[in-house]
Amino acid sequence: MLQRIRNAPTRYGLVVVVIILLLGLPTVISSFQAGEWAQALILAIAIMGLNILVGYSGQLSLGHGAFMALGAYTSAILAHRYKVDYLLTIPIAGLLTGIAGFLFGVPALRLSALYLALATFALAVVTPSLIKRPVGLTNGVQGIILLPPDPPQLAKDAFTIVTGRAMTSDQWTYYVTLAFAFVLFWLAWNLVRHRAGRAMRAIRDGEVAAAASGVNIAGYKTLAFGISALYAGIAGSLYGMSTGFVNPDTFPFSLSIQLLVGAVIGGLASIPGPLIGGIFAYFLPIYSNQWVPTQTWIPSQIASAVEKAGPAVTYGALLIVIMIFAPNGIVGLITGSYARLRRRLRGAVDRESGQAPPESQTA
Amino acid sequence: MQEFMQQVVSGIAIGGIFASLALALVLIYNAMGLVNFAQGEMAMMATFIAFTLIDRGVSYWIAFPATLLIAFAGGVAIQRVVIRPVERAPVLTLVIVTLGLAALVNGMAGFIYGYLPRAFPSPFPVVTVNVLGVFVSYRDLGVIAVSGVVLLAIYLLLQRTTIGLTMRAAAHHPEASRLLGVNVSWMLALGWGLASAVGAVSGIMAAPILFLEPNMMQTVIIYAFAAAVLGGVDSPLGAVIGGLIVGVTVNLAGAYIPFVGGDLQLAVALAIIITVLVLKPNGLFGRPSVRRV
Amino acid sequence: MAALLEMESVHAGYGPRSVLHGISINVAQGGIVSLLGANGAGKTTTLRAITAGVRWSGDIRFSGRSLRRMRTEDIVRAGIAHVPEGRGILTELTVDENLKLGAHLRSDSAEVRRDYDRVFEYFPVLKERRKLSASTLSGGEQQMLAVARALLMRPRLMLLDEPSLGLAPIVVRSIFEIIRTINQADHVAILLVEQNARLALDISSDAYVLEVGSVAVSGASADLKGNDSVRRSYLGY
Repeated sequence: MLQRIRNAPTRYGLVVVVIILLLGLPTVISSFQAGEWAQALILAIAIMGLNILVGYSGQLSLGHGAFMALGAYTSAILAHRYKVDYLLTIPIAGLLTGIAGFLFGVPALRLSALYLALATFALAVVTPSLIKRPVGLTNGVQGIILLPPDPPQLAKDAFTIVTGRAMTSDQWTYYVTLAFAFVLFWLAWNLVRHRAGRAMRAIRDGEVAAAASGVNIAGYKTLAFGISALYAGIAGSLYGMSTGFVNPDTFPFSLSIQLLVGAVIGGLASIPGPLIGGIFAYFLPIYSNQWVPTQTWIPSQIASAVEKAGPAVTYGALLIVIMIFAPNGIVGLITGSYARLRRRLRGAVDRESGQAPPESQTA
Repeated sequence: MQEFMQQVVSGIAIGGIFASLALALVLIYNAMGLVNFAQGEMAMMATFIAFTLIDRGVSYWIAFPATLLIAFAGGVAIQRVVIRPVERAPVLTLVIVTLGLAALVNGMAGFIYGYLPRAFPSPFPVVTVNVLGVFVSYRDLGVIAVSGVVLLAIYLLLQRTTIGLTMRAAAHHPEASRLLGVNVSWMLALGWGLASAVGAVSGIMAAPILFLEPNMMQTVIIYAFAAAVLGGVDSPLGAVIGGLIVGVTVNLAGAYIPFVGGDLQLAVALAIIITVLVLKPNGLFGRPSVRRV
Repeated sequence: MAALLEMESVHAGYGPRSVLHGISINVAQGGIVSLLGANGAGKTTTLRAITAGVRWSGDIRFSGRSLRRMRTEDIVRAGIAHVPEGRGILTELTVDENLKLGAHLRSDSAEVRRDYDRVFEYFPVLKERRKLSASTLSGGEQQMLAVARALLMRPRLMLLDEPSLGLAPIVVRSIFEIIRTINQADHVAILLVEQNARLALDISSDAYVLEVGSVAVSGASADLKGNDSVRRSYLGY
């Protein structure tokens, strides 16, 4: 049975199930909730980009919110000032941000892990201030307001046929986001499976060895930065579409942290991880303290205190607990349990052959 | 010239605040190779505790050391309960844990005390004093004096006492220290306690200026990062000197460069970080050596 | 009388790989025992097992007390000093600080001062370089520091891992003489891991030869020295 789960056909099956679920979701939830899920998917896209950088090529970034901001503002300025069709602005924003990321990756090569983290951290913190300055371009503190996108007639008709209701702009946004998510996740999956992905992982696991094997370290590291920025740029652009406005405070430092947390919680160096991470990163901070009062086994004083304390407390506590018990993220937890199970089965075989592995001993 | 000297002295005073928090960061970095993103929030919480004590009538100069003791105990407790279970995990996991801790502490402070800024007393009256022909703020001198005393005390503790020696040994060479009978795990806990107490000093000195509220330390910690990086993130001396340089630079920039307002002072700090990182990645006093066992 | 250190059917390994396959070794009170064998035979692993640097199964008893589940620092506090392969010098600290760490668990300050005097008598170079960083010492001097530091711990059993490694013959000779003195004057038992079998057999009373994680030959050092075939097959000379 375990053999079967590890086999590709079953994994493909799971993927198909997830795709179908995601496609059908707006038909069974409210428009507002569809908007929320769109934002979760947006975060998932940005997290996928971050994952390529952190999980697959081993470079840490605490500033991916800055790339999201770049993407969002690019789209907003193109759409608002130059009247470009919004959907068209999304890939443009992604490309621009990707190039910016690639350029950022060049000096980043000189920094060790900790200092790269600090440099990107600095970037994230200073982003709101940087956005405010060129008032002519960015409208400064006021930000740019975007008209909510009107779904094209074809989509509206299709939606009404399936659900019998009119399609709202939130739902349209959801589907646009989902489409980009499918494409980007598929691209990422291909990337990690082929040469570029292998090169990046070799770099992550040991630069000296990778260089000795002839891997172009500088090239792949900057490529990773560029690609991950591209993802974040598209996510930012979609974010603008989803919320209808952008301003300097939309992309604070805490967003970069949220992305990193989502990446780690979901599971680094995995393809499904960012999806889980995006869902987690969006929904948990908002709803974490609302789950507790619904549990009747928790005494009411504790429950009401937790509820009043606000989401930050439960969110923080959950982060700590998850890292203690599932340091490889949720995907790691699932694959880890399989590995442990297999090892225990193999252990039984060893006992049969007469060779006992050393007992556990505190070392 | 007068005004310049005043600004320099003010800068040194603020620098003392940054230096204390930077020292806390460096202590933990030395012990664990980890930047504790919750250091600022822990300092803020300690300051709230000091506030509560003073509010209930405890005199400032008793509340101050009492808070440091409580902060110390709190730091030890956090290391035992939250950090130790993930001690051997990769650094990224630990980073997330400190981020969670920061959110937790910040939320708790908000919950217990609310988000309204409060005035925090300073024992130093806001008068100017004539020192060597320059009129400086008495409060600035006070902050410099207190920071100086605390930093000196830490220095003496680490360099001149046996327990400081075992703490340093445990931080730099954990495996070899165990073979000398050093209880490395408890040394780490003490390190956290010490860092927490030093950070508390930073908070208590900052509160009269910034007004006490849960998000008070969030800009201070960024300046402290700048200071630690500038000085070399594994050098306690570097943290102190870095703090002073950052304090003076930021203050002078704010006073003399026209468009540098409140939020851009922060950008100045970050420009420092980035410049140093590009020119001298290990900071002024840092060492490029890998941690040895 | 029970031996000071008793290892009984000890298996040990790193992860799934087992290095020791059931070895049994005894060290008598105040005795010197050498552990010989080729590279990879498991000599270092044996010492590490004693101070809980590696997972092991079986039994290890020190003064009759089982060391199972004890942490390294507690085992050391019980009276075992372990000078590891690579010497374990704390290079971020000074020579003096390294020595202080040797003595830091002791409360008998007068005795400590006497021991310091003795240590400086054995190794005058350490006294000269007291205030310098330990990283400035040469290999031989670091070995001296490691032994001096272990001495300051006043252990009942000293584990020495390859004390001659990488050192000039003159230095090696003086270190081994000091080891002999420590053993005779202070009654410190010694378990010595050495590649240089001749030196080791000269100084020790008993020896064990390890081969691929098991004890191939054991006995009194004099016997092993005199046994031609043992010497040729296991000790290489």
